[in-house]
Amino acid sequence: MTVHLENPDWGMVLPQLIVLALAIVVSLLDAFLPREKHFTVITGVSLVGFGAAIVALLTQKGETGETFHGLFRLDGLSIFMNLVILIAAVLTVLISASYVEYLDSKMGTGEFYTLVTFAVLGAMLTASAGDMIMIYVGIELSSVATYILTAFAKRRGTSLEGGLKYFMLGLFASAILLYGMAWIYGSTASTGLDAINASLTATLSGEDANAGMLFGLLLVIVGLGFKLAAVPFHFWTPDAYDGAPTPVTGFMSVVPKAAAVAAMVRMMVQGLDALSDDWTIVLAVLAFVTMLFGNVVAISQRDVKRMLAYSSIAHTGYMLAGLAAVQVVDGVANERSVSSVLYYLISYAFMNIGAFAVIVWVQHRGQGTGLDDFSGLASRSPLPALAMTIFLVSLMGIPPTIGFYGKYYVIVALLDANMLWLAISIVVASAISAYFYLRVVAVMYFQEKAADDTDRTVVPSTLLNVGILVMVVGVLALGLFSGPIINLANDWTNLFSIAASAAGQ
Amino acid sequence: MDLTTNHFLFVSAALFVIGMMGVLTRRNILIIFMCVEMMVAAVGITLVAFSHETATINGQVFFLFALAVAAAESAVGLAIVVALSRQGRAPDVEEMQTLKN
Repeated sequence: MTVHLENPDWGMVLPQLIVLALAIVVSLLDAFLPREKHFTVITGVSLVGFGAAIVALLTQKGETGETFHGLFRLDGLSIFMNLVILIAAVLTVLISASYVEYLDSKMGTGEFYTLVTFAVLGAMLTASAGDMIMIYVGIELSSVATYILTAFAKRRGTSLEGGLKYFMLGLFASAILLYGMAWIYGSTASTGLDAINASLTATLSGEDANAGMLFGLLLVIVGLGFKLAAVPFHFWTPDAYDGAPTPVTGFMSVVPKAAAVAAMVRMMVQGLDALSDDWTIVLAVLAFVTMLFGNVVAISQRDVKRMLAYSSIAHTGYMLAGLAAVQVVDGVANERSVSSVLYYLISYAFMNIGAFAVIVWVQHRGQGTGLDDFSGLASRSPLPALAMTIFLVSLMGIPPTIGFYGKYYVIVALLDANMLWLAISIVVASAISAYFYLRVVAVMYFQEKAADDTDRTVVPSTLLNVGILVMVVGVLALGLFSGPIINLANDWTNLFSIAASAAGQ
Repeated sequence: MDLTTNHFLFVSAALFVIGMMGVLTRRNILIIFMCVEMMVAAVGITLVAFSHETATINGQVFFLFALAVAAAESAVGLAIVVALSRQGRAPDVEEMQTLKN
């Protein structure tokens, strides 16, 4: 066997290289810069770095290709996913700067952003993976960095406890995921997704897959289900989200979840689309259980942060529903399915990080995260209360916010795939969710705070205010102008064309 | 008796299940770490066995990456346990009850 080594196409990995360089630069700055300059310099460098990565990414729009012997892929899916992840990273930097400096963690801005950057890098690599090895390493890089971020406020017992629970179940899940990948490798003799796809199509030809293959598929769904926080693999979610520093909660509800969604699309749609009859039904059932469970349990929560944790479980359900609509017929997948999930992710990034940003804002005013801490917020500070209302209404899915369009595209994809029952359950689940989202709004506007203790320590929060403003504008505008975004998302279908052109050479 | 790929697969499946039962039943966090490491090692046997069976190198490369990842994970896990013990808490899952709804 001869091995041909070719020079990798470095231009293709430019956004990822920029993020890697940013991680190294930030960790060096953390070590060598005087402590009092950390806040301004490191925050600024992080924003510039992520911005440069977004610019580099946008210049790649429309290109396709693969490098590093098929480990790394550039296609519509990777571009859109990387864009979502980088936007979430910028928003996270905006909302966490003053929190890390003044509140809770006080552990050092440099360490915090280094970890955030590595988690972002792992998620980006997962989204651009063309091989199971890359998917595994990318998803683990993003998870390990997020475990540390969850336990970042190491003087607070709850943070460590949440981090430990997240860590142990994440470790367990990745062992299961790895075992599933091993069985898929054993059944198809390759770890490359295109090669797996070709091998499956060749051996199946109308017959049922062998037991080892289905076993591997099941284990991969379980492993990724843990990472996604799908019911019944969700039990780490409330504690980890509750214990983590609030900006981290916003971050981990979007970036590792986006990585897991990307891994799911890569594994299922790109690698195992010949088995779509088997896995779409599993995903549909998972989606149904997840969205109902998340919303029903969220009703009984008295803590806004914990309530949003359950609500994020429910939103995982909506994304899985979009994936379940893939339905490959004659080698052609339902185009709208994955693009609806991609659009949902970008809407989720804006509205969910936004909701956590307002909790961070309230914490900057010396308050906690309970429902009582929000009572009378509208009379004390009308603008954050209005922002929170907009985010919650969007999470609920009411027009003209971005959340409505996200759910709308998922429902259209489901109707295309003749899955009316799942479309109806999304509507029912959203109706249930209105109860607990609107309760926060009611508490903010119609309840007075019993003891007036508004004069607690106030911490400066300029960047946070900018971040909230950006997200409000995003939630209101990106829904109404969803056309270009959904067009960009529709490019995901070119992930099949690379394999075809490689086979044709 | 000749050793076939199936023998290796059975051993690795047995190890994987033993590790899994350990994770689900043990109370001590350090023991749980060891059980997860055992699960990863069991997957390694599967990967190398399949690598031999299919005459491809990917499985062995995959396991090298998985080992590196597992080492990084243990470092993080032990760091969290050390931070917990600094607060005077035992490495016991029964004590992790502060976060409840």
